[in-house]
Amino acid sequence: MTTIGAAGRVGQYTLDNGLRLVTAPASTGQVASVNLWYGVGSRHEVPGRTGFAHLFEHLMFQGSGNVAKGEHFEEIERLGGDINASTSSDRTNYFETVPDHALDRVLWLEADRLATLREGMTQEVLDNQRDVVKNERRQRYDNQPYGTALERILRLAYPEGHPYHHPTIGSMADLDAADLDYVKSFHKAHYGPDNCVLTVVSNLDPEDVLARVEKFFGPIPARDTVPEAPDPALGAPLGGPVRDSVTETVPAAGVFIGFRVAPYGEHGFDVMHLASAVLGQGQGSRLYRSLVVDRPIAADDGGAAADILPFRYTDSLMLVNMLAREGVGGDVLEEAMREEIGKLAAGVTEEEMDRARAVLERDHLQSISSPSGLADSISSCTQLFDDPELAYTWPRRWDDITAEEVRAAAERLLVDDNLLVVRFDPEEPQAAGADAVAEASGA
Amino acid sequence: MQQSLPDLGAAASYTFPKPRRVTVGGGTVVAVDVPGQQLVSLRLVHPHGGAAEPLDAMGVSALTSEVLEDGPDGNSSLAPALERYGAEWVSRVSWDGFITGLDAPASRLGEAVRLFADAVRRPALDPDDIVRRRDQLLERFWLEAASAGTLAMRSLGGQLFTGRYATPLAGGPVKLADVTPETVAAFHADSVASVAGTLVVVGDLTGVDLEELGKTVFGDASAVPAGEPTAPAPPPGELPRLLVVDRPGSVQSALVIAHRAPSRSQVDLPRAEGISEVLGGMFTSRLNMELRERLGYTYGAGTRFDLRRDSGVFFMSTQVEADTTAHSITSSLEQIAKLRESGVTEEELTAVRESNTVGLPVNYATARAMAGALVDMVVHDLPEDHVDRVRAGYERLTKESLDSAATEYLHPDESVVVVVGDAERLRRPLTDIGVGPVEVRTPESLWS
Repeated sequence: MTTIGAAGRVGQYTLDNGLRLVTAPASTGQVASVNLWYGVGSRHEVPGRTGFAHLFEHLMFQGSGNVAKGEHFEEIERLGGDINASTSSDRTNYFETVPDHALDRVLWLEADRLATLREGMTQEVLDNQRDVVKNERRQRYDNQPYGTALERILRLAYPEGHPYHHPTIGSMADLDAADLDYVKSFHKAHYGPDNCVLTVVSNLDPEDVLARVEKFFGPIPARDTVPEAPDPALGAPLGGPVRDSVTETVPAAGVFIGFRVAPYGEHGFDVMHLASAVLGQGQGSRLYRSLVVDRPIAADDGGAAADILPFRYTDSLMLVNMLAREGVGGDVLEEAMREEIGKLAAGVTEEEMDRARAVLERDHLQSISSPSGLADSISSCTQLFDDPELAYTWPRRWDDITAEEVRAAAERLLVDDNLLVVRFDPEEPQAAGADAVAEASGA
Repeated sequence: MQQSLPDLGAAASYTFPKPRRVTVGGGTVVAVDVPGQQLVSLRLVHPHGGAAEPLDAMGVSALTSEVLEDGPDGNSSLAPALERYGAEWVSRVSWDGFITGLDAPASRLGEAVRLFADAVRRPALDPDDIVRRRDQLLERFWLEAASAGTLAMRSLGGQLFTGRYATPLAGGPVKLADVTPETVAAFHADSVASVAGTLVVVGDLTGVDLEELGKTVFGDASAVPAGEPTAPAPPPGELPRLLVVDRPGSVQSALVIAHRAPSRSQVDLPRAEGISEVLGGMFTSRLNMELRERLGYTYGAGTRFDLRRDSGVFFMSTQVEADTTAHSITSSLEQIAKLRESGVTEEELTAVRESNTVGLPVNYATARAMAGALVDMVVHDLPEDHVDRVRAGYERLTKESLDSAATEYLHPDESVVVVVGDAERLRRPLTDIGVGPVEVRTPESLWS
């Protein structure tokens, strides 16, 4: 099996406290990317506490036992480093890329907030970051056309009380209810070295990296107890078609279609990943050809209509999304999209399969082409599948999947019983601004 | 457990890789080999950007750039053909450059580049394709401008410039409609097909024949130097002033405070960029610390210079909770005034100096980033040791040189404040702060 060079040079170690360390080479010099994946995400949130895992991620930058508010950012930025973090349903990741002489400093900063965050936490920073996160929600969801789509999709896809029923950002009311005691208990429950994968991508000697990680993370004890995650089992099929229709200020009708598919990491997921690429990834995809170029009733999205939200611990969601052209109604677009999706069950050509594999492989290569992207992919593969080398070999999963497998999976899964639709329609018959364009075109 | 920051190791000094230059026919290949980087970034730079467009063909570069994706056979055939090689088409029009390119696996570079050359030199330019792309672009303008932040940025040009810069790069929602298939064909023939340009290649170049690559891409096209644009005058109107672009029901306001700046070649880059970093270029910069980390008004605030060949713009941008809009404006202006009056702290000076010297390996850790730097050097006629020269400039920075940059480059009194938000809710508080006259416009009325 050919892989791209670096596989086989990956180092894997487990500290006595359970922390898993992975080292891998960088393709440019003098740089170190550090990436920590904690096995905690919004799927661990209970009703009334939505948005907490993400709010917590913000608080991790607000100071710890030996680090003042703002100091973590300051130290990394002063070195010209990149620094950020993100939260999803399944995990929270923290990452920095720095010149490699600063590796000790990054490891120390990360170790300090893992070991002593509770000592640095105050009501004042909690209140401030709660406001920041509420503004993040406004910016990304509430003040954005179609911004609430994901929230609505998840609400339809997973039943009330299910850990994937709500989006990671959470609700305004739950954010308001967050208190300091809960912050501290959340850190104690989920932030232990035994719940962390640490990846370092650099050209430093792996044994040297191991020694430094031992020095800073070795003394941190594992958690006493591992909290149980809310049950992600789905008792019943979706029972579709289910739908949510919204009329609000949007510039054009928008159609969001979803289907439950296999969990991330399973063969069935890979099959549907190819199906989504055939259908809606790239300008050679069916939806682009038929609804953007040939008819054309959908806005040009460059070929990005379909993808899968990858969930490891429950059914993932294949999503198909397009916006209508001027003068095209939501019903027309929705019907055309559903028709195109339905056609997959009639068969997929070898040429389409080749293109789909090439597109997915290209995107994968793109995602691991930076040291920071590679580190994140390795952390993911280690945390979720205990196999860091998958970060390099992932595209090989698509090699042996046949066109017939894709067709059969489409026939089984892309059906009304398993269908959800979120529809946005503009308040007025014509999109805002459309008048001005029409006048000018006619002038 | 160690209680304090560990010492830094010794920083290795960074030198940007010296590119290999190969002249082939009318063009030049500029290449950097990055062994192990399997995804090669290839960029072809033509020195004709939006700034050079005549006023009756605004948006022709952007439309042509889109139409190239229809390929030599027309009908959106290029991307699917490239997709089969695992290659991704890249195209970007800026005010000063027309850039096309590929990100492609090194193993299939040759095949992908042949297709690329055909696409750039011999596109079908089918009038039906051009009209379809143009209509899509026109509609996309409003789809994208439905986001408050995008609308605010697009509203800026008309407040700072007359002439070409007053209309968005892609021709805006109106002017682009006047660009015909014939105009596109003429622009392509004169400014793209017949002009060799400069080819930037970065990635694992083991076994890649640069000469051959150049021959394929340049063919018999000739070398044509960039024209020298001249900066358009500002529009009339009192400064500072406020423009509210009405977006009823907005729970946040998108806010941009901007003024004109010197051109790229006129600014002393380390001092200008350095003072912008202190004010808003980093997470720990003053504006973000004030508006986000102290007041909790926003998810983030930042500043940047947009430097062109003939002029420039300095701006701060943020999105704030609607009721905090007026205070966000006065706070931001106060922060700028304070920086001009009191200058930078020693910590800020150190942060700017170090992040732009020892931090360089982080900036250039991907083929894409290195290709981006090389494209910048081509577009702005910079020497090939440009990155190292700028680094040396940062090493020389002192408190005095940054303090003087604050007064030289930041001009709050000459600013235009653009606010995209709910006018009914904002008009009074924005008038009350007394920054300047407040004008309210609908988005549709901004471009004609």
